[in-house]
Amino acid sequence: MGLVKETTSGIYNLLLGLWVTFKHLFRKPVTLQYPDERWEMPERSRGTIVLLSDPETGELNCTACMLCAKACPVAAITIERKKDPETKKNYPTLFTLDTTVCCYCGLCEQACNFDAIKLTGKYEFSVSDKSELLYEMDFLQEIGRDVKYVKKKKAAKKAKKAAPKKDTGEKSAEKPAAKTAEEKKEDSNEEDKAKDKTSGEPKEKGPEDKTE
Amino acid sequence: MLELRPIFDAIGEFLNSILPEFWVTIVSAFGTGAIILGVASVFVLFFVWWERKVSAHMQQRYGPMRTGWHGWLQTIADGVKLLQKEDLIPRDADKLVYLFAPVVCFVAAFLAYVTIPFGEGLIVQDLNIGILYIIAITTFTVVSLLMAGWASHNKWSLLGGMRSAAQIISYEVPLSLSLIGVIMIAETLSMVSIVVQQEGWFWNWYVFRQPLGFIVYYIAATAEANRTPFDIPEAEQELVAGYNVEYSGMKWAMFFFAEYINMLTISAIAVTLFFGGWHAPAPFLDFIPSWIWFVGKCLLSVFVLMWFRWTYPRVRVDQLMAFAWKFMLPLAFVNIILTGFGIYLF
Amino acid sequence: MSVKQLRTEEMLINMGPQHPSTHGVCKLVIKMDGEEVKYIQPHVGFLHRSIEKIAENRNYPQFVPYTDRIDYCASMNANHAYVVAAEKLGDVEIPERAEYLRVIMAELNRIASHLVWLATFTIDLGAVTPFLYAFREREDILDLFEMTCGQRLTYNYMTIGGVGWDIPKEFEPKLRQFLKIFPSRIDDYEDLLTNNPIFLHRTKGVGVLPKETAYEYSVSGPSLRGSGVKWDIRKAEPYSIYDKFDFDIPIGTEGDAWDRYKVRLQELRESAKIVEQAIDGLPGGDFKKKVPLTWKPPEGEVFCRIEAPRGEMAYHIISDGTPKPYRMKIRTASFCNLQVLPIIGVNHMIADLVAIFGSLDIILPEVDR
Repeated sequence: MGLVKETTSGIYNLLLGLWVTFKHLFRKPVTLQYPDERWEMPERSRGTIVLLSDPETGELNCTACMLCAKACPVAAITIERKKDPETKKNYPTLFTLDTTVCCYCGLCEQACNFDAIKLTGKYEFSVSDKSELLYEMDFLQEIGRDVKYVKKKKAAKKAKKAAPKKDTGEKSAEKPAAKTAEEKKEDSNEEDKAKDKTSGEPKEKGPEDKTE
Repeated sequence: MLELRPIFDAIGEFLNSILPEFWVTIVSAFGTGAIILGVASVFVLFFVWWERKVSAHMQQRYGPMRTGWHGWLQTIADGVKLLQKEDLIPRDADKLVYLFAPVVCFVAAFLAYVTIPFGEGLIVQDLNIGILYIIAITTFTVVSLLMAGWASHNKWSLLGGMRSAAQIISYEVPLSLSLIGVIMIAETLSMVSIVVQQEGWFWNWYVFRQPLGFIVYYIAATAEANRTPFDIPEAEQELVAGYNVEYSGMKWAMFFFAEYINMLTISAIAVTLFFGGWHAPAPFLDFIPSWIWFVGKCLLSVFVLMWFRWTYPRVRVDQLMAFAWKFMLPLAFVNIILTGFGIYLF
Repeated sequence: MSVKQLRTEEMLINMGPQHPSTHGVCKLVIKMDGEEVKYIQPHVGFLHRSIEKIAENRNYPQFVPYTDRIDYCASMNANHAYVVAAEKLGDVEIPERAEYLRVIMAELNRIASHLVWLATFTIDLGAVTPFLYAFREREDILDLFEMTCGQRLTYNYMTIGGVGWDIPKEFEPKLRQFLKIFPSRIDDYEDLLTNNPIFLHRTKGVGVLPKETAYEYSVSGPSLRGSGVKWDIRKAEPYSIYDKFDFDIPIGTEGDAWDRYKVRLQELRESAKIVEQAIDGLPGGDFKKKVPLTWKPPEGEVFCRIEAPRGEMAYHIISDGTPKPYRMKIRTASFCNLQVLPIIGVNHMIADLVAIFGSLDIILPEVDR
């Protein structure tokens, strides 16, 4: 009896398997025919890194504050900077992104206070030579030209609020962290906005922190 | 109407009128050989593409799409690629055996077509021992696989070769026995006579008198052709690629070619012996040429083989043997006994 | 020739590191008597990236991307283990919404990881079609992850203090759609495999892992539960908010490959259940608490473990009060689970060895770290 039962159940299940595959034969394939059809990359896609420019002036948003370079866990970003003697603003003279080591974690974008660096959904940047994977500033700016972004941080900053907010957020979360954050500020304190706001900082520290 | 036999007859008459008899024999022999090779090759090219398409759609994919309409040129493109590949011979290989293994495999796969009637009158040679010949010839494949497995000087290949030998020895027995029922009813070994006896409505087909024999044959034949779920000599997940792990380029392509030819062969035998060969399922459908019926039935059978492959897991080598000896063989004997009773009673 | 003159010897074979069934770069040195495996010695370390040492040179938040790379099939769970440990170390309270989001993501990733396992396991057994079916469903989950955090494999989603991004508004309908069709898809897998006689023969009674052996080698996760041990950190030591959800722990009886298969398949359903409860009860509010790059936890050490898809994943972090950990030890399940392979894999056919290796669900970057 056992054998009969086993055989019938076996045959039934073999046929069931055939039915499942047969059923799928007439379903629409889920494949995307890549070069002809393209996937719409979600807004938040973390693909190629670009440098954003101001759509009005065409200048880079980057103020060479070094925050992204510090946040990068693999040290993929190299920045050199200069100070514009007239406007007293910092600007990068060299901004190199080594995409061979970049792990696309997005920490640089999170660290940036000036909407200067962004991970976008752009792709197809394969090259035949490894050395071409070292992206220079001009290239990063070029591929970032058409990237739309919401200027929330900058807008907030321009409303004389955000620069301290961001810094305080970093400084005040933990007491021991304050010292290092100060060190960081020293790095970036040439940025005039931050300087302007130093006085206003302590006042706004508390409430800002809570709302965040 | 569209029967092919008159065309070949006309060619024969034309040759007879311009050549002496001896040369006619030579030319027709080479001619039929070339035709068989050509037709079978076209089928293989089609099968490779078709299998990729069938498997793809069973898995909700498209399969090849980029070469020609739905990728129909894909197999040719692959063939060109394989031709260009470097032809490697392992340093420690037994070179002669290594070189000859694909050739033996290739030739053995084609030899069975001598006695397969593709349509009414479309047979190379109607041997009066047709079935016996086919059983003998299809076993040749195992020799080539064993040669390949041994000569490659690779442990995985060796395992694959040994597996294939064990497998084919096991399955040859139920395969042969399953055909005995048909022979008992037909009382002949000639393929053409067997087909002729299945004329008329589809219930004259031997599959309805020999259902058990057909099941045993089909399973055993799947195993003989090394198709999943019985593809243990290849078993890429276990033995990497089994006997052909060291083969590359066209040598590998010949093995591949032979596998698909074998698929057509076992389908053709199944159609001839169990599904009425070139006959239409009903007499009023006879206006469709016989070879179309034959090819259509073969394609259906090949599709079922592909369907199996893309549904089932692979059996283990010892389970395969056990299945052959403990299940298939008794079943084949039961079939013979039942057939004997049937013939005695009716 | 008499029988005595026939000499046989065991054959030494290197299975891997380039072998289709070693799931990455594991090398198994095996001795075979014909088709039967008599001795197995796994060689690991091909993928060693010294992640534990790297941790000593990274700030706490900076290490999160590295945890993605420990187990690339279940990065969310690896993230989760690390952030839970770090928060315990620094005593960080996180918003409730973040906890819920974490659970949703972790369970979705458990489903994705089990689907990868199902795919590779069936392909080890020679069935190719379930492979693509499983990847089809995994694709849906990866789409959800991509719209949330922008990546499909290395998410870097959870941060110390919450999660990196809130879910977008199109997330919930898509998730509910997925949860609606998913059970029927599992039924498809079951129809193809569970009672298929070939599958049964290949897995029933193959690679039996007795309870005692599992204890001795500290096997964990579904491989342990397949042997009939009801041990799941989500129930035994609830972390995050797992105590709020209602779910079962499926267990096996025999401890063979089939039981491990069945346990994982049931876990797919259970995880879907948890996700459903979590998305229903998702509270509003903040999704993260800002933790700076130079976050300094107090001096001390912490050990924290979670239930990752492959078993217990634990982080042991020692802090000396600086922004960088003094020492970090990562306990991964695959490493321990791999150790039983030489015990349960011997005296089986080589085809069974492949099936056992597949059924243990070992992922090599997790073994080597």
